[in-house]
Amino acid sequence: MGEMEQLRKEADSLKDQITAARKAVQDSTLQEAAASITVVGRVQLKTRKTLRGHLAKIYAMHWSTDSKLCVSASQDGKLIVWDSITTNKVNAIPLKSSWVMTCAYAPSGNLVACGGLDNMCSIYNLKGKDGNVKVMRELAAHTGYLSCCRFLSDSEIITSSGDCTCVLWDIETGTQKTVFAGHQGDCMSLAVSPDFKFFISGACDFTAKLWDIREASCRQTFGGHESDINAIGFFPNGNAVITGSDDATCKLYDLRADQELITYQDSGIMCGVTSLAPSVSGRLLLAGYDDFNVNIWDALKAERVGVLAGHDNRVSCIGVSSDGMACCTGSWDSFLKIWN
Amino acid sequence: MSASTQEEEELPANHTGPKGVINDWRRFKLDSVDQTVPQNKRELLRQMSSPREDDRERLNRKMSAQEYELIQEEDERCLKRYRKQCMQEMHERLSFGPTFESVYELESGEAFLEVIEKEHRMTLVVVHIYQHGVKGCEQLNSCLDCLALEYTNVKFCRIDAVATGAAERFSAEVLPALLVYKAGELLGNFLSVTKHLNEDFFATDVEAFLNEYGLLPEKEFTACADDEEEGGDVE
Repeated sequence: MGEMEQLRKEADSLKDQITAARKAVQDSTLQEAAASITVVGRVQLKTRKTLRGHLAKIYAMHWSTDSKLCVSASQDGKLIVWDSITTNKVNAIPLKSSWVMTCAYAPSGNLVACGGLDNMCSIYNLKGKDGNVKVMRELAAHTGYLSCCRFLSDSEIITSSGDCTCVLWDIETGTQKTVFAGHQGDCMSLAVSPDFKFFISGACDFTAKLWDIREASCRQTFGGHESDINAIGFFPNGNAVITGSDDATCKLYDLRADQELITYQDSGIMCGVTSLAPSVSGRLLLAGYDDFNVNIWDALKAERVGVLAGHDNRVSCIGVSSDGMACCTGSWDSFLKIWN
Repeated sequence: MSASTQEEEELPANHTGPKGVINDWRRFKLDSVDQTVPQNKRELLRQMSSPREDDRERLNRKMSAQEYELIQEEDERCLKRYRKQCMQEMHERLSFGPTFESVYELESGEAFLEVIEKEHRMTLVVVHIYQHGVKGCEQLNSCLDCLALEYTNVKFCRIDAVATGAAERFSAEVLPALLVYKAGELLGNFLSVTKHLNEDFFATDVEAFLNEYGLLPEKEFTACADDEEEGGDVE
């Protein structure tokens, strides 16, 4: 009994030391630093294209790095690759399971992946020799649902799962290269750093973790949220992380300061954040909420500067293209819209 | 069907993201459970969906081991029926609310504030600020008269700039102005809205303009109701 008490005291003392160290480097607040910056003004985005073809709620979407093609996953059990300029469907891929939670486009444009309640990450080759899209690999080893997946390259992909782990896979062999364990709750989302050396994960233990991919270690852990973290993303310069949580707030954490810089919240918002996408400049943050609305935040001043889709309670997922020229929203009514 | 919606309302639930998928799956299982299956099986499914208050560990895990076992090959017909049901319910939930028949004339600044703040939280309020003699105002007024007939759950209003009590802010250069509100929040602010439209514009042009910003509700349930399967690649 005495030893447990001692260890507990030691753990608490370490936590206090960490808090003190963080406070010591806090020489300013984001509000102070951004005080002299001009306001962004009201942001009103217009629908440029509507992508029709799915038959049910859109669960997830992801842009290709060419900012022209994108892939969407729907409750109708299909993955559709769209040309967002012409609105044509480039590929329509039937899935074995309709309960798909995530989809991803490989940076090369050659592969797409998806996964969900089937606990697997299925990789599809879009550039097969005979022109048909087939399953290339089924990465199965997770003991929980597949909440998110992101490609590092055509040969590596990272997945996050309801089994509380994230995994780096070798697509060629279909095996796990590294298992990133440490979260105490279901992992809900992940994002890869711009230099592909790190990734961050958000989980139902209310924390976000920064992982070093090659070292296979957890570098930093960020707390502060009062509920599950459902969405996570890197600030465009890779030095900060943004999280969205069921506590109805988004938070910006700086990696070098190892602490939270600001919280995006409003007393009028009471439902959880389930998706987020920063603009390419980082000045705007698009946050999708569980009531199907999207709020646009001024990331520096932490003020709402607009809403997307007229607050029509339709948006189920969002994504910003890599060239920053457009954002795409998926709705529960089966349509996707391109906005800017 | 409405009974299950009420029950769903009581269960803590997420609608979007991975948790949204889990929630949809649970509802699907509850709905498609065979009527001949005893009551206790449904109870089990329901119990597994709501985490017990005292179980902090359990709260961090969103799906139970028993639930994972229940995921299996699902009946395509049941799935199709479920998807339609989902969208139908969402449409019904959003079209509920008061209806209006024509454009309302607001007489004062107070009336303006009241219409913004007091309307039902689901009602879209479109206010046209006009002034006699300013180009485009009369045309816009007749366009809105048309739209008010078509979009009966949107409250269209108009107010003379002078009546607002803030005539300096609404000088002739920024009129006609269209402001769009919902649940007390400004969603759209279009000063000199006619500069976005052609010299001669009609109700359909104003409608298209508002639709570009996603500000008007869908007129009808337009999602693909037929179940054409899109197999293979389409170019």
